[in-house]
Amino acid sequence: MDTAVATRTDNLRATLWRPLAGFSRAYLAALVLTFLLGAWGLACWGYQIFRGIGVAGIRRPTMWGFYLVNFVFWIGISHAGTLISAILRLTDAGWRKPVTRIAEAITVFALMIGAMFPIIHLGRPLVFFWLIPYPNSRLLWPNFRSPLLWDLTAIVTYLSGSIIYLYLPLIPDLAELAQHSTGWRERFYRLLSFGWTGSDRQWHALERAMHRMAGMILAVAVSVHTVVAWDFAMAVAPLWHSTIFGPYFVAGAIFSGIAALLLVMSIIRRLLHLETYVLPVHFDNLGKLLFLMSLLWFYFTVAENLTTWYGNSPSEMNVFGSRVRGPFAPYFWIMILCNFVLPFLLLSSRRMRTIRNVTVAAVTVLIGMWLERYLIILPTLSYPRLAAVTGFYKPTWVEISITASTFAAMAMFYLIFCKLFPAIAVWEYKNDSHR
Amino acid sequence: MILTADFVDAQSVAAAIQTLRARGYGAGEIDIFSTAPVEEAEALLERPSRMSLVAVISAVVFCLSAIAFVYYTQHDYRIVTGGMPIFSWWSTGVIFYEFTMFGSISATFIMFLIESGLLKRRGSIPAPRLEEGRIYLRVVCDAGDSVSSVECLYEAGAAKVDEMEEQA
Amino acid sequence: MAIDLDRCTGCEACVAACHAENNLPLSDPAEAEKGRAFHWLRVDRYYEGEFPDIRMKYMPVLCQQCEDAPCEPVCPTYATYHNAEGLNVQVYNRCIGTRYCGNNCPYSVRFFNWFEPEWPQPLELQHNPDVSIRPGGVMEKCTFCIQRIQRVKRDAKADGRAITDGEVQPACVQSCPAEAMTFGDLNDPESKVSRLAASGRATRLLEDLGTKPKVFYLQRAK
Repeated sequence: MDTAVATRTDNLRATLWRPLAGFSRAYLAALVLTFLLGAWGLACWGYQIFRGIGVAGIRRPTMWGFYLVNFVFWIGISHAGTLISAILRLTDAGWRKPVTRIAEAITVFALMIGAMFPIIHLGRPLVFFWLIPYPNSRLLWPNFRSPLLWDLTAIVTYLSGSIIYLYLPLIPDLAELAQHSTGWRERFYRLLSFGWTGSDRQWHALERAMHRMAGMILAVAVSVHTVVAWDFAMAVAPLWHSTIFGPYFVAGAIFSGIAALLLVMSIIRRLLHLETYVLPVHFDNLGKLLFLMSLLWFYFTVAENLTTWYGNSPSEMNVFGSRVRGPFAPYFWIMILCNFVLPFLLLSSRRMRTIRNVTVAAVTVLIGMWLERYLIILPTLSYPRLAAVTGFYKPTWVEISITASTFAAMAMFYLIFCKLFPAIAVWEYKNDSHR
Repeated sequence: MILTADFVDAQSVAAAIQTLRARGYGAGEIDIFSTAPVEEAEALLERPSRMSLVAVISAVVFCLSAIAFVYYTQHDYRIVTGGMPIFSWWSTGVIFYEFTMFGSISATFIMFLIESGLLKRRGSIPAPRLEEGRIYLRVVCDAGDSVSSVECLYEAGAAKVDEMEEQA
Repeated sequence: MAIDLDRCTGCEACVAACHAENNLPLSDPAEAEKGRAFHWLRVDRYYEGEFPDIRMKYMPVLCQQCEDAPCEPVCPTYATYHNAEGLNVQVYNRCIGTRYCGNNCPYSVRFFNWFEPEWPQPLELQHNPDVSIRPGGVMEKCTFCIQRIQRVKRDAKADGRAITDGEVQPACVQSCPAEAMTFGDLNDPESKVSRLAASGRATRLLEDLGTKPKVFYLQRAK
């Protein structure tokens, strides 16, 4: 039994630790490419700070544009980790094992990227720290009644919670890596593993902490995207002032989060050769969840649009008409296609839920959800209550560059993460080895 | 005297723990080391935890501090906005909620660091180096009792038992 | 403020006066086409009826200085708030440019400085020294010419007298050739603006939103 366990663990380590060693040409190329694209985005932002936010396409009346769309989108993606990790941990679903760390990493990086956007979209970004309550010479505190302050507290809480939630189950793996590494890696892992020795006290404390964190991070995640939704719902603008926005955004966030997770899982499985760990059953289960969220999203969308249309209030119908028949109609119907029709076709039966189909569905959902954020923000702003101020938004190269660079930045963070840490929690697979 | 025994499966560890408990050793003197959590051992060794209590207390403390802070800052320079009251529970309730959760999250993490012993590094008894597939049991026993304890451990199924003097 | 729509001819003298008085930045045609022109006071044109019975209605729209302004609670830095006199003031120094207030204003009367403001030479010599130049990245809007209000208050205090009705005249009110605009103290029931506001012809814009605007539009009742 001893040798069987040892071999199994060797296989475990061989597969899960292989990506950590060495740099293949493709990896370096990808890292350099994503870094350059990310740096280009930063350069564009620097240009924007220097010249003024007018280099972006935002204007009156559409004072919020791509940056807010991206903000909501990335915060939405960050709900991947929460749903999978937290809910599956709470329900003790065994199939979550290969998926949790990937999801938690997505959460942390997506949050970091999403949290940059409120600063990027500011007119005077260099004084963004005025939002932080500290005694100052202006004798002023920030306005806690503003939904933007609620955003700040929610995102800071969620970010710290997510980092802790990612870090905690990483500790045993880090200790094991430290034991089997040399040089700077050993020092790095040992430092991060905090002196973990694997004693039962530590395991006990870890499992207890993880269980509690799962519940708490879930509660925080629901509140975070509700608060982001309330950035819009608290405004009196037509079609924004809707009570359903809180739940709508949370459902949409979980929806796009699962899609992002599926995409990343698919890529990681292929690139890191994790085919024996990330199995078709995982894609099947997550595909079922994606399908469920697609139905839920569609239900919310129908409820929202039906009540608007039936209510027939003039300022709201103006915006509604622009979404369904007017200038925004192509995006609206593509969104319905991407978020509901294609997932329905690709995910509704077990036979259809192959890894490829599920990944394709995930990609269409990501596109659809980005469009959904766009369609929530722009039509309302383009058609204000006083029609004389109607105006349309056209993004400039600055906004498009920064948007593209965030995707590159996400890829880069992930590349670095997978090089330093095993993408799957090794210790969770060892539980069977002692039986 | 510190005895470190290594076992290959969880049942024998459990048997060993039961034997040691029968001989009068408390959970404070017995430690199990492994590369993955061992359920049978955890069931036998109670590790009282104050994590929940501290988390709840911390949540309450953070919540009250947030309320006090917001109340103080809203009244410090009374600025009227949009006909809203100067301080209202509804318009700042989210902030209280987030601070409460932040309090309980940080408390949980800090209690984890404390209860797992990761924070105290000085003067701790050295832990065995972990090998795959092996579970280590470490017990701090009296010098006189060590010989019979070692016998019991071998009886329970230990593959090897090391003895070490305690560092003062 | 009361604006008589039956008298307004749509000449936009008020718009020009506001530009001159408040150091409004000039936009070049490219920016204006992108919708970034500054008109703290704008004249909206409405057509009523079908050709050939068209009637034009000109409606000068400026910041309504709402009592329950939706723009105020959403500003995270208190850059816009309600002062004791009942004005919705904009503090340029505090603004960090989130533009939430601009999105939340139902009248779309808020303007944002997308760039550092520039005036082609020699127009920068024409600036009103009583009004600050806004930097790039801050929000601005009609202030009811608060500099004029302050000046009248100071003069009245120096003379030891109360402010008479009609003494404070924002630039738009002062320049209207049709005398369509009236400005005064709504708290004083005897002032001209209060009497006009109480008349049967007074309406307010988007009143059902509950913003309690302070600009009364006088038009014949339908």
